[in-house]
Amino acid sequence: MTKIVEVKNIEKIYGKANEKQFKALSDVNFEVQPGEFVGIMGASGSGKTTLLNILSTLDTATSGEVKIAGEDITKLKNNEMADFRANKIGFIFQDFNLLENLTAYENIALPLALQNTSPKKIKPAVDSISAKLGLTEILNHYPTELSGGQKQRVAAARALVHNPSIIFGDEPTGALDSKSARALMDTMTKVNKEDNVSILLVTHDPFSASFCDRILFIKDGEIGQELKKEEHSRGEFYQEILDSLGTFAE
Amino acid sequence: MLNKLAIGGIKHRLRDYSVLFSGLMIAASIFYMFLSLALNKAFLKSNSPAQATAFIFGFGIVLLAIITIVYINYANKFLLSMRQKEYGMFMMLGAKSSKISKMIFVETFAIGAIATAVGSLIGIGITGFVGDLLIKNMDMQVSHFNSFYLPALLWTFVFFIVIFIFSALRNSISLRFTKVMTLLNMDSQPTKLKRNNAWTIIQSILGVILLAIGYWCMVKMGKDATFIFLGVPVALFTIVAGTYFVINSLTTTIINLLKRNTSFSQKGLNNFTLSQLNFRIADYTKILSMVSIMFALALGAITVGLGFRQQIDTVANGQNYYDASIRNINNKEQNLVDKIDHKKLTVYEFKNTKKFTYYRNSDLESQGFTYNKFSKSMISKEVPTHKSNPSVAFQLQNTIPVDEAAPQAKFVSDAKFDSLSGKPETMTFVKTDSFKNNLSTFKKISEIQAARYPAYKQFGGDKYSVYKNINSFFSGLEFMGFFLGIAFLAMLASCLMFKILSGAAGDVKRYNMLYKIGTRQRSLRQTINKEIAVLFSVPAVLGIVHVLVGLQMFKPLLYKPYMHIEVPFLIFFVLYLGYYFITRYLYKKIVLK
Repeated sequence: MTKIVEVKNIEKIYGKANEKQFKALSDVNFEVQPGEFVGIMGASGSGKTTLLNILSTLDTATSGEVKIAGEDITKLKNNEMADFRANKIGFIFQDFNLLENLTAYENIALPLALQNTSPKKIKPAVDSISAKLGLTEILNHYPTELSGGQKQRVAAARALVHNPSIIFGDEPTGALDSKSARALMDTMTKVNKEDNVSILLVTHDPFSASFCDRILFIKDGEIGQELKKEEHSRGEFYQEILDSLGTFAE
Repeated sequence: MLNKLAIGGIKHRLRDYSVLFSGLMIAASIFYMFLSLALNKAFLKSNSPAQATAFIFGFGIVLLAIITIVYINYANKFLLSMRQKEYGMFMMLGAKSSKISKMIFVETFAIGAIATAVGSLIGIGITGFVGDLLIKNMDMQVSHFNSFYLPALLWTFVFFIVIFIFSALRNSISLRFTKVMTLLNMDSQPTKLKRNNAWTIIQSILGVILLAIGYWCMVKMGKDATFIFLGVPVALFTIVAGTYFVINSLTTTIINLLKRNTSFSQKGLNNFTLSQLNFRIADYTKILSMVSIMFALALGAITVGLGFRQQIDTVANGQNYYDASIRNINNKEQNLVDKIDHKKLTVYEFKNTKKFTYYRNSDLESQGFTYNKFSKSMISKEVPTHKSNPSVAFQLQNTIPVDEAAPQAKFVSDAKFDSLSGKPETMTFVKTDSFKNNLSTFKKISEIQAARYPAYKQFGGDKYSVYKNINSFFSGLEFMGFFLGIAFLAMLASCLMFKILSGAAGDVKRYNMLYKIGTRQRSLRQTINKEIAVLFSVPAVLGIVHVLVGLQMFKPLLYKPYMHIEVPFLIFFVLYLGYYFITRYLYKKIVLK
C-alpha cells in the first residue's frame, strides 16, 4: 500500500552559503500510513512549522526527498505545487484563516470552486461535510458571527470537503478554549476513524496530541523520540506524553 | 529615545510612507494648479466669453476643497492605521499618552507641511509644463496665464496647513483616548457587514430620483441660462447624493444577484472576487461617489475643452466656404497654392469702378460660386451658377474690403467686361479637402495678402483671419477645459489609487490564505485585476452618464456639444487606464509574495 507521507533525509538550512547559516531541520525521516493520525510535537523553534511547511509545499527543503501519496513534491513547479495543495491537501490553521467576506458555506465550498467542480456537485459535498461536523445551522453566517470553535469546525470542513489525501493541522486548537478544543479533536478523530482520513498534526499541546495514534517529538530540527498509543486509553496516552515531554526536554 | 524609535518605524514602512507622501503631494499640486487659474481674475476675464465663468470657478474651488478635505481625511486615517500599533506598544511599555499624542501631532503636521511645500513646487512645474504643452501644441492663444501665481501659492499653503493642523489635532486626540489594547489589536478588528434589504431598495429608488432631478436641472440650464444660479447648486447636491445612493445600493444589489447565480459565482475565485467587492463597496461608497463626480468633472472639462476646439473649426468653416481668396495671385502665392494637394481653384475676374464691381457672367456660369447658407442652426452649401441668385454677387463682393468695393456688384457679358474701363483684377478661390491640414500654407498666404493689400489687415474676411479671431476667443475656454480636466483626473486617480492601496495591507492575509490552500498565482492575479477593474469602472460608468447629460448645459455655448465626443473620451480612457495599471501593479506588489 502506498504510504501517505514519506520523508527521507530532509534538511532545511536558512541563510546563504557565505553568510551565517541556521539549520532548521536536519536528517528528518518518517512515514505516515494511510488512515493514520500522527502528531508532531515540539517546543517553539524546534522546527515543527518548518517541517509542516515543507510537507505542504509552502516551503522547499534544502535537500532530501518528500513523497505525498506517492508523488515526489520536491520536484514540483510553482503551478503544480498550487494544484497539488488544492487537490491533495487539506489545511487547518491555528488562526482559522477563514475569509471573513465569505459565509461559512462559501468558505467550505472554496476548495471545490478552485478545482472548477460543477456547482451541482458542490452543494451536496458541502452539505454532507457540514452535516457531519454539525455546521448545517450556521452555513449562512459570516465568520465574524461565529465562535472560535465554530470557526475552526468550518475550517475543518473546508479542509475535508474535497477529499484530500491528508489533512495538515497547524496547532488547530491553539486559539480555542478547552471545550471547543476537545470538540474539535473529537471531530477529527471521528473523521479519521470513520472515513479513514490521514491526519498530520503539529502541536505543542499534550492534550491535543493525546488524540493521535502516534507522536513524533522534534527538537532542534531533529526527530528524537516516537510514542505510540496502541492499546492505551486517551488518558493514559496523555500521561505518557507528559512523561515523555519531561524527559525529552532535558 | 522614543523619537528615534518613531523615526525607525517610518524607515521600516518607507514604501507605505512614500505612497502617502506622493498622494499628499499630488493633492497639493492639483490644488495649486486649480487655484492658479481660478484666482487669476485677469486670466478668467480675458479668456472666457461667458459671464458665469468666475461663478463656475468659485463652485469649482468649493468642490475641490471638499474633495481635498475628504482625501486628506483618508490619507490621515492611513497614517494613523500605520502608526497606532507601534504607538500602542510604546504606551504598553510605559510611554505617557501625552508624549505619544505630541509625537503623532508632530509627525502628521510635518508630513503635511513637507508634502504641501514640495507639492506646491511640483504644482508650479506642472502648471508651467501643461500650460506650455497645450499652448504650443494646440495653437492656442491664451493671455495672462502664469505658472507662478503668488496668491494661489499662498492660499494653497494656508488651506493645507489649516487642514493638517486639524488632522494632527484629531490624530493626537484619538490616540490619547483610545485604549492601549484597542490600539494593539487594531489590525484584527473584524469588518462587519449587515445589510438591511428595505433600506437598500429605498436607497436605490432615492438615488435614481435624485439623479433624475440633477439631470433635469442640467438639461434645463442648457435651455434657460438664467436658471444657472439655482440649477448649479441643486444639480451639484442631487447628483452627488444620487451618485452616493446608487453606488451604495445598486452596485451591491447587482453583485448579490451575480452571487446568487451559482453557475457563475461558484466557478474558481468568482465568489471570492464578488464578496471582496461587496465588502469593498460598502467601505468604498464615499470614495467611489467622489471619484465618480470628479471623473464626470474631469471628462466633462476635457470634452467641453475639445468642444470649443471643434467650435473653432466649425465656425471658421461655416463662415467661409473657400479656404482662401487670393487677390491678383503672384508667383510666391502661386507657388504656395501649387504645393497643396487635393484642391479646387476657382478664378473670377473683376473690375472695380465707383458704382459697380463688375464680374464676368461667363465665369459664374462655367464655375459657379459656392457659399454657405445659414438657416437656424443648419449650414447648407449653395452652388448657384446664375446671376439671378441674389446672394451670389453679395458673397463674391464680400471678398473685397468694404471701403474698396463698389456699392453693388454686377455680372456682365465678356464683351461688355472687356470694354469697361478700370483695372482688370482676379480673385482666386482655393478649396481644399482640409483647411486645418493646410493651415500653415493659408497663414502664409494670408500674411502675403495683408502685406500686399494693407486694407486686408483690418478687413480680415478670409478664412484664416476668421480662424485666427475665433481661435483667440475660444482658446481660453479650451485651455481651461483641458487644464481642469487633467488636474481633476490626476486628483481622482490618486484618490482612488490611494484608497485601494491603503486597504492592501489588510488583504495580504486573505491572498496568502488562498495561496496556501492551492490557488495558482495566475488566478490570484486575475482576481486582483478583476476587482480593481470593477472599482475603477463603477465610478467611470456613472461619470460618463453624468457627462453625457451634463453636456446639455453647454448647448448655448457649443454649436454641437456631442460632435467628435469620442476624442476626449478616448484621451481620458487612455489616461485612466494608465492609472488602473499602475494601481493594480502596486497592489499586487503589496499583496502577493
